[in-house]
Amino acid sequence: MVVGDGAPIPLASPDLSSPSLSAVSSLVEAARRRLHILAGRGLGWHLHSSLTALPILAVLYAYWVPRGRVEGVDRQVILSKGHASLGFYTLLEEMGVLEEGSVEELFAKPGSPLQAHPEAGRTPLTIVSNGSLGQALSVSNGLVIGSRLKGRRVEVAVVLGDGELDEGQVWEAAATAAAMRLWEVVAIVDRNRVQHTGETEAIKPKEPLEDRWRSFGWKAVTVGGRVEEIAGALDSRAGDRPTAIIVEAVDA
Amino acid sequence: MAGAPALQMASYRRALGRLLARLASELEDLVVLDADTLRSTGAIEVYGSAPGRVLNMGISEQDLIGTAAGIALAGLRPVVTGFGAFLMRGWEQIRNTVDRDGLNVKIVATHTGLSPHLDGSSHQVLEDLALMRSLARTAVFSPADDVATVETVEWLVRRYRGPAYVRLGRDNAFRVYGEGGFAFRPGGGEVLVEPGEAVTLLATGPMVGVSLAAAALLRSEGLRVGVVDVYSIKPAPKRLVLEAAERSRLLVTVEEHRTAGGLGDVVSSILAEEGACARQARIGVPPGVYGSSSRDYMSLLKHLGLDPESVARRVRRLAAAL
Repeated sequence: MVVGDGAPIPLASPDLSSPSLSAVSSLVEAARRRLHILAGRGLGWHLHSSLTALPILAVLYAYWVPRGRVEGVDRQVILSKGHASLGFYTLLEEMGVLEEGSVEELFAKPGSPLQAHPEAGRTPLTIVSNGSLGQALSVSNGLVIGSRLKGRRVEVAVVLGDGELDEGQVWEAAATAAAMRLWEVVAIVDRNRVQHTGETEAIKPKEPLEDRWRSFGWKAVTVGGRVEEIAGALDSRAGDRPTAIIVEAVDA
Repeated sequence: MAGAPALQMASYRRALGRLLARLASELEDLVVLDADTLRSTGAIEVYGSAPGRVLNMGISEQDLIGTAAGIALAGLRPVVTGFGAFLMRGWEQIRNTVDRDGLNVKIVATHTGLSPHLDGSSHQVLEDLALMRSLARTAVFSPADDVATVETVEWLVRRYRGPAYVRLGRDNAFRVYGEGGFAFRPGGGEVLVEPGEAVTLLATGPMVGVSLAAAALLRSEGLRVGVVDVYSIKPAPKRLVLEAAERSRLLVTVEEHRTAGGLGDVVSSILAEEGACARQARIGVPPGVYGSSSRDYMSLLKHLGLDPESVARRVRRLAAAL
């Protein structure tokens, strides 16, 4: 594999047919083991954040998106908390989107398609670059608004960190989604209760988190971090308002 | 001393509003987004021609930029309008999402420079050219008047795919061009008065009209002063600047922006990198100074030494020292 030419990575042929939830769980387990191995070899960057984001990303990419394809619904995923990249990349490797060994070989090398924070045009399955917190909910809204104007239905799931909710722009965007009744937007909050310097509730409390989203005009639900619960929350979305799914991390 | 010739005023925002309304009726994929300043920027006109494609995002500029980015990702043509000062609140969003991904978002800022004269320093953005031209992929333009505004924005919306920033004032578009008298070209500029042997003024935005008036004053005293409209800030009209440097001993940049980071720096870097030997002086808002409230625009220009008489006085002194 060539590093540094800036070209998108050559993909293995991914199997994106809709797998069962038990297959998604196996993906999460495999990716989790892989993350620990990588951490043991010095690639443990934002390990906790990657571990807690894993089941969310696995459900979205390996269940929700393929299922949409079966149902004829275009579904997009945006990882807003881009520092969970190792979790994302490891998952892509386990899904066969990236060739085995890609993460260890390519992560965070100059010019590599696997930058520390995913970049559009280089990183597989990345439609917008991230790394700066608080921006992707607005982008998700825009994607839905634009698609509506084109007469197309696109559903967008955006994965936010709980620390990221400190950013004011998240709430600007939450107000926009509610005002425009963007029911196609799902915000999934990785509620791992830690942010960069320590515990979220000690730094800037996020609770009552469900109530915050509700008070902005969203539907909100809190679930545990098992794939069945996350998938269940996505499947039971209904109505004409955007939904926040708060995923309480299973202690990894 | 004869007074400067009267400047004929037009309105940037009125021209913008009419143009956007027309473009929205002609282009089905055009979407206009504004942060609750639609009446002020002129974007409200789009309600008349394409009510479904003008979005008031509320007073939230960061969300405004991010939403426009998503609309561009969906394959439409978003145009963002707003006050320059507050659009810069979304600069990091512009940098990290729009510019980094090279998204097709056009940002048209009104009320830049000293144009919101009554509002005062909070609204009078003097740093936007510096912020925007430092980005990797965003093209930056500063039209002189309403005619140039229409040509510039229409060209960018129809023919340019990628991020661009257009800097407009409010109602202070001193007439420079007659209808149909301006042809836009990225990297272009317009020689309005042939460069003089001693001095050429390189001006941008509303200072083009002011510079023409100042040059007319000086000409009436026998000093031949050239005037060039540098409307393309990035890419810069390098050849025009170098030609002016060949023909004039002194180039004076004139801008309604800080002297640092704006046109002054654009010209300095061209002169330095090309080893041109013309001297340069900068007229603009100096470091350490903010704007001010003023009940009328011209008094504010006078207060900051940017009205035609003040510019002429400064150039006269510079020319005498050559």
